[in-house]
Amino acid sequence: MIGKRNLLVPILLVLAVVQSHGQSQAPDADTDPKEALQELLSKALSVTISARVVPPSADQGTPVWNAESTKLTLPGRSIKVRLDGENVRIYLVCTPYLQEDGEVLLLAQGQIWLTEPTDKENKYYNTFYTIPVSFGEKVLFFPLGISDADNQDKKFFNIELEIKIVPYEQKQ
Amino acid sequence: MCPDHDILSAYIDGEIASPWEQAISDHLASCERCRSVHESLLATRRALRDEPLGDVGGAMERVRRRILSHEPVVPHQTTVWRRQVSLPMPVALVAAALLLTLGVTLAVLVSRSNVGFVRITKSPTSGTEYQFAVPYDRVEALLKSLGDGDANSESVMTLPKNMRLTPVGQPRMVRETDLLRKKP
Repeated sequence: MIGKRNLLVPILLVLAVVQSHGQSQAPDADTDPKEALQELLSKALSVTISARVVPPSADQGTPVWNAESTKLTLPGRSIKVRLDGENVRIYLVCTPYLQEDGEVLLLAQGQIWLTEPTDKENKYYNTFYTIPVSFGEKVLFFPLGISDADNQDKKFFNIELEIKIVPYEQKQ
Repeated sequence: MCPDHDILSAYIDGEIASPWEQAISDHLASCERCRSVHESLLATRRALRDEPLGDVGGAMERVRRRILSHEPVVPHQTTVWRRQVSLPMPVALVAAALLLTLGVTLAVLVSRSNVGFVRITKSPTSGTEYQFAVPYDRVEALLKSLGDGDANSESVMTLPKNMRLTPVGQPRMVRETDLLRKKP
């Protein structure tokens, strides 16, 4: 005959295991999925990358070409943009991090593959930047360098990428 | 006074001690009725002693065989599933309550895992921790639906044709405010 003790002990053990498993895995009782997702969105960041091709005399003229990409991401989650041109390919990877003071630390990594129009040589650059920025503050990336007065005479187009990070909720 | 039947039987068996044995012998010599009973008892005794014992060997052998032919007695055993357990009512109620709790707990766990949740923990040392009870692709789909495409996929911008770009220096990244400050 099965003793009462033999019957109760396995039940209690199973119950204890299930309870401990539930406590370790289940969310807080007051965690509502919608609220939690809303909280997740409150931490989300909207990263806008605007690419512009400017003529040499950019101060007077307007960009001859521009494009924009906005992506939603989480702090620490990178976004990637690629620019394809006739003689250039540019990769930009931006990873925003939220700092303790509420500011954003932007990690940006760039790769530039370029074929010079003049001598047909191929060049490759890679860059890495860590820039603390405020929300909404613009960061400019010049993959081919910053044009100056000396270069403006060369009649070559230049390109710049503008990075702007804002909280997702603020963007809404 | 005449001795009774039991005393006479004891006398025959030699169980009467002296001087009563002598007194009974004297009485038998003088009492015709007691002498008759005494002789009747003696005749019965002789008959039992002299009667030959019948052949009981066959019967004993049969009994012996029957005893040996029986298998040893084994206590009746039942399987575990057929055994009946008797529990006091309070213990049975507690066991039922525990089983009910177990079932409800399992149901809640299963339903919670289907609904999903997000728990965000801010750690002073290791950044922000996001714990999801929803599949990763669901979060990705959410972000994708809110944003412009998948953040992990590349956004491709195609420059106009016949636009050849040339480097004017090393790649640089600056804050716009810093750039404007440097300009005269």
